Amino acid sequence: MFEEPFRWMEAISTRHSYVREKLQKARPVLSVPYDEGAVIFGFAPQSGKIFEIYDRIALGGLGHPADIERLRMTLLDMAHVEGFSRSAQDVTIARLLQFGIAPALKQNFEEVQRAPYLVQLLLAELNNEGVAEFYRLSYDGYWETFRKGTVIVGDRKVQEHIQKEIEKTDFASLKLNQALKKGLCLWEEGCKLDDSGEYKAGDESDSEEPDEAPSTLKDAFGQWTLEAAVLNKNTGRKRLYRALDTKEIDALKEVALK
Amino acid sequence: MTTHSDRVRVSGDFFELLDRSGYQWQSPLKSLPENKFIEISQGTTVLAFHYKEGVIVAGDRRATAGNAIMYDRCDKVIPIDDYSLMAIAGVPATAFEMARILSHNFEYYRRSQLQSMSTEGKVRALSKLLKENVGMAMQGVGAVSPLLATYDSSQGKPFLYFYDMLGAEFRILTHVATGSGSPMIRGVLEHENLWGARPLEERSEREASALAIRLLQTAAQFDSATGQARPEDKLYPIIARITKNGYQFVPEDEMADLYKTSMKKG
Repeated sequence: MFEEPFRWMEAISTRHSYVREKLQKARPVLSVPYDEGAVIFGFAPQSGKIFEIYDRIALGGLGHPADIERLRMTLLDMAHVEGFSRSAQDVTIARLLQFGIAPALKQNFEEVQRAPYLVQLLLAELNNEGVAEFYRLSYDGYWETFRKGTVIVGDRKVQEHIQKEIEKTDFASLKLNQALKKGLCLWEEGCKLDDSGEYKAGDESDSEEPDEAPSTLKDAFGQWTLEAAVLNKNTGRKRLYRALDTKEIDALKEVALK
Repeated sequence: MTTHSDRVRVSGDFFELLDRSGYQWQSPLKSLPENKFIEISQGTTVLAFHYKEGVIVAGDRRATAGNAIMYDRCDKVIPIDDYSLMAIAGVPATAFEMARILSHNFEYYRRSQLQSMSTEGKVRALSKLLKENVGMAMQGVGAVSPLLATYDSSQGKPFLYFYDMLGAEFRILTHVATGSGSPMIRGVLEHENLWGARPLEERSEREASALAIRLLQTAAQFDSATGQARPEDKLYPIIARITKNGYQFVPEDEMADLYKTSMKKG
């Protein structure tokens, strides 16, 4: 079936459309710097958006939970074996992606007989100098790096829009609460844009996220749970990752909904 | 992709991951006869006791091999995760390796299973490592006798365990000391607890730290393998506390002040 180059290209193109359609309605996950490190957050109907990979690496994901889980476990295994046999300083996202999961994802995507991964991943890291770095990994193994923060969303154009807004803001000078508040505004802006139909593409009926996904902060806080975690360079400990607890999230909710 | 599509793993066991990656924990050296004459560095004093807010863990800084002092800035109190500390007495090579495996074991479990390992699980993990090390211990080249202190957030209290070199675990409700200098201070600890100004578990953070410094100084007085503090070289014992907020080492500037006041006579 795929002996002819055209057939293969056609199959790949179909896969692209298939995955994008599946991810279309997924709500944004953002990660931005703040004055003490980096923060990563997203809303979800159940937990499973934000994870800790290693001492100074956080992961955000959207798409099929089982696919996120498989990639998360691969990253965890690689990071821990490397951190144990060498040093925690040798565990970097660049190495995990470039030599680890990105080539494997690409290969999987191009093997058209196998099911593609329905995922978008966002990775944030505080490097050994304490500077925040951000990475976005697509379902086909393509990855990009950012210094000022980044976002993953189902809709590509909404993603570009939020990305531009992130680039315009000096998050690195903001306190945690301010950075989160500003980030949440961008989240809401993205969702509204997504729902306005301005950027609509393809059929949305078969998406991974339910159709009644909240699009305002008020609905999101009411119906879903905000998951947020920080990488804080001033903890004085080995592990810089810390998930925000319920009290902090409640306090944030009050500020954000004012 | 890789090994995950054809494997379902739910254990979150770092030992298993190490096995798969080809790592081998030390096995007994089969061809090596038991040898009591090998000089191995293992002199130490580490101690721990319950105080008002949690558990204090302290250790001297000296590493020895027979009569020789090999190193005077050894850190024998090692963070395992945010809520656990291990204090080591015995052969440093084995002890440090154990601490590293244990740390990755706790953290790998917590990250992969999205919940902390239970205190009992943590305690057994160290026991398992010690049991697997029995061969080396019996041959006299890898004996380790550690302490493990951990704060259990779900139960809201700290736990302190002492291990023998074969892996037996003993929960300590008051105080414990191990290493070559420990016999010199175990009696003092007991005496302080029973007939001191206040029982150990009622003492404040500062009182507990001062007592730890004095005990290590006493051990160093009678045991050549336990190092004395040398304030002129900014060389102090290591003191760490575990409370509901996790572990915290006493920083160097605070240590200098603490040492000075603790050493005052009368």
